[in-house]
Amino acid sequence: MTQTTQGPRGPAEMSDAEELWYSGKWIDRVPQWVSITVLGLAMLGLWWLIAELMPQNLKILLAGPADTFEELWDTTKNIVSGGHIAEGLWITTQEVLLGFLAAAILGFVLGVVVGETRLGKRAVMPYLVALNALPKVAFAPVFVAWFGFGVNSKIVMALFIAFFPVIVDTAAGLYSVDADTVMLFQSMEASRWQTLRKLKLPSALPFIFAGLKTAAVFSVVGAVVGEYLGGGHGLGELIRLSAQTLRIDRVFALIVYLGILGLILFGVVAWAEKKLLFWHKSEIFEIQGTG
Amino acid sequence: MTTPAYGIDRAGLESRPVEHEVVRVTKLNKTFHKRGLKALDDVDMTLRHSTFTSVIGPSGCGKSTLLKIMAGLIPATSGEILLNGKAVTGPRQDIGIMFQQPTLLPWRTSIENVLLPIEIRSGAAAAQAKRDDALRLLELVGLEGFDHVHPHELSGGMAQRVAICRMLVTGPAILLLDEPFGALDELTREYMNVELQRICRERDATSFMVTHAIPEAVFMADQVFVMSARPGRIAAIVDVDLPRPRNLDMMTTPEFGALVRRVRHSLDMGIDGGGLE
Repeated sequence: MTQTTQGPRGPAEMSDAEELWYSGKWIDRVPQWVSITVLGLAMLGLWWLIAELMPQNLKILLAGPADTFEELWDTTKNIVSGGHIAEGLWITTQEVLLGFLAAAILGFVLGVVVGETRLGKRAVMPYLVALNALPKVAFAPVFVAWFGFGVNSKIVMALFIAFFPVIVDTAAGLYSVDADTVMLFQSMEASRWQTLRKLKLPSALPFIFAGLKTAAVFSVVGAVVGEYLGGGHGLGELIRLSAQTLRIDRVFALIVYLGILGLILFGVVAWAEKKLLFWHKSEIFEIQGTG
Repeated sequence: MTTPAYGIDRAGLESRPVEHEVVRVTKLNKTFHKRGLKALDDVDMTLRHSTFTSVIGPSGCGKSTLLKIMAGLIPATSGEILLNGKAVTGPRQDIGIMFQQPTLLPWRTSIENVLLPIEIRSGAAAAQAKRDDALRLLELVGLEGFDHVHPHELSGGMAQRVAICRMLVTGPAILLLDEPFGALDELTREYMNVELQRICRERDATSFMVTHAIPEAVFMADQVFVMSARPGRIAAIVDVDLPRPRNLDMMTTPEFGALVRRVRHSLDMGIDGGGLE
């Protein structure tokens, strides 16, 4: 109990500090940036060691840190100067963004239908669950056949992989509304629309944002899978070509850019969540599933 | 300290003016057919203006069901509830309700929460027009200067004070309180009960409170309805003629102790008798 005056965010910060004080584990007393840096350097060292110890004839299969960083530098130069990698990055970015936006809108609308209507819950939801159980990647060739080798098939693939978590989380958020507060709204003779707009949707926002953060990660997966299987000129295609010619250093460098793309999108969603949901505390480093 | 015209000297029943009826419940029955449960069995009662009624009973005796039917939130199977002479058939503006949890909207400030019932019923402009009233209510419950604070910055007791304002803002004829301070710690709860008494007296409110704490039921009430379970019915009525305003010291007096014993005795009888048909 070191803190006696409380700012607006006082209690939450104090409980964190207390947690740190009471937990005796040494790792909790090390600043987090130190542990992150140390672990990062250790993994770099391990990577370097494995690459060095590879038999000479297999060295080409694993680019070491030095080669990768050198290639990353070349890749960056190419991107800055507007070369073909910049073009690929731009194409993939468009696919990811449009796929994500479509997934967010479609997922939200279907989520409200499922979460708010009996028909949605009883008839639509079972189909969505069944659809989600299918290996969605398997549909990629179908989308290529339907939408061609251009960006459209990749956008649809990103949408297809990313929209389901938005639906489920939106519906779950609408179900999770406090029963007493719903009763309060009944006692105020609130219409169904008023209850949805003034109570249920704002209450569901933390869930909806959890779904959007998953969708942000999944839409990158969708776009890249689409490119692997459907060609085009995006980063996925460049990675596939680089791997075929055993330019593993370039593969790694391009994957770094894919990771940055995903992180930025995730970060923007997490930032919007933090700005919008000032009353709700959310962990930015939530464990994400993979698609 | 404001003094209602008849208020301060209520020591004897003789000196207590008979106020007009606000609520009359007649032969109220509620059966949950799916579960084959008779929750309420021929409940009759009268709530007079500016009185406080506590309802106490074992869990499952239907006291919360009774409160929800009175609020127009669930229908009765048979029987009638009149509020100011008009049958309650659904939620109404002149019914105020409060739950164990504050049920404040966390994205709204205190004053926006208080004005919510106005906004829902009559729109944002009407709510804006009632702003001064809402500020006065916040002042009444001791939350002056907290109008622009969000619920996550309020303590549990303060949040319930905002809920009280939200209940009062439409000027209801009856306050229905479903274990209003049940989620608070004991000290805060006692303090809030004293505060609620003060607020009810200042507003001349007619109140109906469900509780499962005997001392609280006695401390707050002019009359205590003791309910028995399965089927839920009113087993006894205990009149509490302790003078007002009451303070916490009164809870140690022999008179208070005798009333608590009477309520407990009625409860025990009700529970024993409840199993017999």
